[in-house]
Parts: sequence; C-alpha cells; structure tokens
Amino acid sequence: MIDYMIYLLAFIIGLIVGLLYSYKKHVEPYILKGLEIPALIIAILGWILVINFHFNIVLFAIGLFLVGFVIGERPGYGRGETLIGVGVGLLIHIIIRVFSMLW
Amino acid sequence: MNLMIDILVNVIIAFLAGSLILGLHRKIMARVQLRPGPPIVQYLLHSLKFFFKESAIPRTASMPFYVGIVVILAVVWIIGVIVGPVSHGSLLILFGVYAIYKIVEHNAGSSSGSPYGKMSCVRAVLSAATELPLFAAIALIYFKTGTMNIGEIIAYQGAHGPLALSIPLAALMFFILILTKSPYSPFAITKAKELITGFETEHFGFLRGFLMFSESIAWYVMLWLFLTIFFGPLSAIWYVVGMIVITFITGFVNATTPLLNPNHSVMTQITIAGACFVGTLLMIFI
Repeated sequence: MIDYMIYLLAFIIGLIVGLLYSYKKHVEPYILKGLEIPALIIAILGWILVINFHFNIVLFAIGLFLVGFVIGERPGYGRGETLIGVGVGLLIHIIIRVFSMLW
Repeated sequence: MNLMIDILVNVIIAFLAGSLILGLHRKIMARVQLRPGPPIVQYLLHSLKFFFKESAIPRTASMPFYVGIVVILAVVWIIGVIVGPVSHGSLLILFGVYAIYKIVEHNAGSSSGSPYGKMSCVRAVLSAATELPLFAAIALIYFKTGTMNIGEIIAYQGAHGPLALSIPLAALMFFILILTKSPYSPFAITKAKELITGFETEHFGFLRGFLMFSESIAWYVMLWLFLTIFFGPLSAIWYVVGMIVITFITGFVNATTPLLNPNHSVMTQITIAGACFVGTLLMIFI
C-alpha cells in the first residue's frame, strides 16, 4: 500500500505546485485562450510516463506529479494540454504494443 | 508493527484520496451549474489550512464534549478504515461505525450551543432513517452470501460474480446511503443551507480541520465499501475508476436537485429502502 500512498502524494504535490505556478503566471482576472507550450510538454511527458511506465514506481510517480501539475492549474487552464497529453500517451502505448506484437 | 504501519498508510490514503474525490465532487457540481468551480485539490488544502487556523470555543459550548466529539468522529472513521480496507472485517462493525457517526452528528450539534447546531442535532435524529437502507442492504447480503465478513463476501463474488448483478436493488439501496452522505445531497438535512453547515457550524480552526479530515475518510470508506461488497475483487485502478464514476453520479444528482424537506427526505429514504428490500427478498427466494 505504501506505493499507492507515494503515487497519491506525488499527484497531490503536482496539483499544488501546478496551482501555485499557474496563479503566479496568470494574475489577470480572466482566462487566456490557447495552448501553453511548457504545460503541453509537461502534460505529454507526464501522460507518456503514466500510461507506458506504470510498472516502475519512480517513473510512474514522476508521471503522476507531471500530470497533476497540469491538471491542477488554475481553473480554465490545462484542459487542452491534458487531452493532448492523454492522446499522445495512448498513441505511444498503441505503437509500443503493435511493435512488441510484430517482434 | 506491520499492522500499525498498514493502518497508518491506509488512513493517510483514505484522507488524501477522500479529499481529492470530495474536491472532484465540488468541481463536478460547479461544472453542471455552469460555474468554473474550485481546483480539485481545494478541499484538501482547506482541510490542511484549518489545522493551522486559530481555534475558538464558544461560551455556550458544553465542554469537554464539544472537543471530544470531534476526536470521537475521527476515531470512528479510522475504525472504519481498519475494519474495511485494512482487515476486511465484519459489515456489522461498519454498521456500528455508521450508527456512531449519527450519534456524533447529533452530539456535535447539541454540544456547540448554537441554534443552527441544535436544529441540525434534531434533524440528525430524524435522519437516522438513512441507517435503514444500510441495515437492510447488510441483511440482504447476508441472506445471499451467508456471511457478513467482507473478505468472505469478496471471495463469494470471485466465485459467483458481482453482487450488484445478483441483488441490484440492494446495491441501489446502498447507493442511496452514499448519496445521502455526499455533500449538498437532497437528503443531507443535517447540513441544509438554512442551517449554515449544520452541526459543524460552531466548530472552528483545528476542530474544523479534524471534522474535514474525518469526512474525507468517511467518503473514501463508504465508496470503498460499496465497490467492494457489490463489485467483488477489484484492482486499484478499478477502485479509482469506480470512485470517480460514483462521484460523478452523486455530483450530478446533487447539482440538479433541491434539498428535500426533512420529512420528505426521511419518507423517500424509507420508501426506497422498503421497496428495494421487498424486491430483493423476492429476487432471492422466488
């Protein structure tokens, strides 16, 4: 059960860090439209780790931290980045599965 | 020693996961009501924040009960974690835990001396009707499986399939209990908006932090219990999915329904419990 606690803590720390980062970066009282490149890179990296490296405690925890970072951003931010991250993570998972089946 | 670590880890998981799920619940309700809503980590941050706020005790409070009842609430739900996720013990003990929770609701309200708390205390007596679906569901599970031990119920479902498929009305009855326990529920008469936060209204600072800590654990234990006794042996990922799905459903229901009048709330719960109990008995014995 300790591994689940580590995962939860990593995710929650990611949520809090993402929230603090987002509020520091966006002080305006409205939401800016469009994707943010740094958050997009973090989301893609995070979801790749979460979907494809769930067997490794350290990589999975890092993935959850990164995923939490983007999900935890100020309300209105991080949605598009998360969706793209999930898509890329799943795509890489499918590619790895197909290649492993072929070889 | 291993058992102590196991209990500690499970309590921490219950608190963290329960807080996140309650945060998600608020977010879902907000999105259904076309509001942005707070971040899902907000409930956890609020809980932690209250532990560092100044505590004040009202002059009208009945001490030491006013403080003690908060500790009792935390202990009650930690026992829930020990009986449920840690030891897979008896459902009867969990029924006892829920019964004591009702007593805590009652006494937390009356000990504060606040009129809101006292009104909530009176309603807590009425809302004891929420225990009927729980008791009826436990009885039906016993009729079906021949045991009240959670470990044996999991093993039964491993062999015969999920109980949610064989006694769906009992599962519905238990779900009504979860709905009652969820924040802003149509059945949550003890915490109705006209009572501010009901029996919690006069608990501040550290004491409120303790209450929120206990509620997070309570929500986790209720969801864990529902998934375990009706959907059988599940892996961690299915527990996560199940808890999120249930939270979505309760969030949607609570966001779109008004709070019921106390009498209507109790009658609705008793009617659903009665109909589901008779229906499940017919399904089992005919």
